[in-house]
Amino acid sequence: MERKYLYLDYLTCIGCETCETVCDFIHDGSPHIRIYVTENKQYLPINCKHCDDAPCVRVCPTHAIYRDEDGAVRIHEDKCIGCLACLQVCPYGVPFYSLKVRAITKCDMCADRREEGLEPACALMCPAEAIQYGPLVMVLELVNERRAKNIPEHRRELGEEELRKSVSSGYVLL
Amino acid sequence: MRGIKFSFLCKEKPQRTGKRVAIVGAGPAGLTAAGYLVCKGHDVDIYDKMPEPGGLMLFVIPEFRIPVERVRLGAKELEEEFEVTYYPKTKVMEGEREDEGDEFYERVVKLSELRENYDAVLIATGIWNVGRIGIPGDDLEGILSPLELLFWIKGAELGYVPKEKVPDLRGKRVGIIGAGLTAVDAAFECNRLGAEVEIFYRRTIREAPAGAYEINILRNRGVKWFELVTPKRVIGENGRVKAIELLRTRLGEPDETGRRRPVPIEGSEFQVELDYLVFAIGMVPTPPVNGSYIATDRRGRIVVDSRHMTSVEGIFAAGDVANGPTKVSRAIKDGLYAAVSIDRWLRGES
Repeated sequence: MERKYLYLDYLTCIGCETCETVCDFIHDGSPHIRIYVTENKQYLPINCKHCDDAPCVRVCPTHAIYRDEDGAVRIHEDKCIGCLACLQVCPYGVPFYSLKVRAITKCDMCADRREEGLEPACALMCPAEAIQYGPLVMVLELVNERRAKNIPEHRRELGEEELRKSVSSGYVLL
Repeated sequence: MRGIKFSFLCKEKPQRTGKRVAIVGAGPAGLTAAGYLVCKGHDVDIYDKMPEPGGLMLFVIPEFRIPVERVRLGAKELEEEFEVTYYPKTKVMEGEREDEGDEFYERVVKLSELRENYDAVLIATGIWNVGRIGIPGDDLEGILSPLELLFWIKGAELGYVPKEKVPDLRGKRVGIIGAGLTAVDAAFECNRLGAEVEIFYRRTIREAPAGAYEINILRNRGVKWFELVTPKRVIGENGRVKAIELLRTRLGEPDETGRRRPVPIEGSEFQVELDYLVFAIGMVPTPPVNGSYIATDRRGRIVVDSRHMTSVEGIFAAGDVANGPTKVSRAIKDGLYAAVSIDRWLRGES
């Protein structure tokens, strides 16, 4: 099976919170993608990045964290001892300990849905198409094309000073 | 690009239940509810007064936030793969009322007729009106409603509004009152079209609903941010906007929303010259009823119970028409949970 990626393009995200809403809906009120609001009110969805060289997989003392055939980083709930070592090493602070399940819970790239041939819900419903799910080549091509498209538009519309400001501000207006 | 997959819960339409649901309003709440209901085997018809489905996502929210194609393909998928039938240019109304975007509808259907002809009805008609602010001169020419302005700009790009209808904003001074997401979107679009934009807000950037992040992007683009001011009157010349008179404010005690209330400072009046003025405040729910057919509250919102059901059995409501102005995700959430209730109700479970 070809490795899949779930990529969140923060330059395209509009902070609408739809990803968290649908994730919350399919996980009965415990979303695996969560919006963090910064002090200046930037809305940032954070979920497991399913890292290539995932520190959580390496640090887990009971080998409870593994990669499934689509490439999702998953938890063996019965092997998890709740030591939170994965939380210590995750740069995104993603692993969430559920007292109900008594194991780490986190984004599994919609494992149940994938079994039925469905894709992760957040990627399907994002109004801005800021979340891509698919093989690496597909994700990279889409994001590369998006960035490349902006370059000539900017050169035509904006002066250098304006271009610098608009790029540094994080927003790219077509 | 792929469309928003409103039917994200299933691969294909399951066996038919034979139940028919009418959804009024093809915005995020209506389309998401439709996606859920078709996955449960119900037949869905969607009525909307605009010429194509998508609601505010398509007609008002700027393209740089939500791509038109993403919305269009999503609505089309419901039609082609899940046999949803759209009735565009159709206003559903019990009683009479004029709303923004009314120039597009060609037919009127009564809400009570839909209730008779379908097993259940979901109202998701959103907020297509803007309340008057109620200061002298607020009806002068050159005062634009944010819906109207954003809708003209987007509608012209989509080919629904003649290009002449969009005011030529190049070099014009546009004042925007308010600091919510609508104000920010209006500022982005006016700035993009070459206007000199100033935003006036009665509190400070810390309280602004759109947040400092968005506002600072605008400031980087040359938009002027004016805080702690409140409009007193609009000054006209030959029936057209010439300037706005503002009062400075200071922040007093917190109000019911927990934000400090702005208190106007007596004698602090000053004027700013303008060509256009946008009151980006007070978007009003537009339920498909004017009168007592279903219950609405003081702010025009449809009253619903925990099942999202209105005062009429079998008629449900979701999205901004029940909540007042919120974000897209809130409409989507409401659409999903209202659809869950409708499905249960149709199965006789509650």
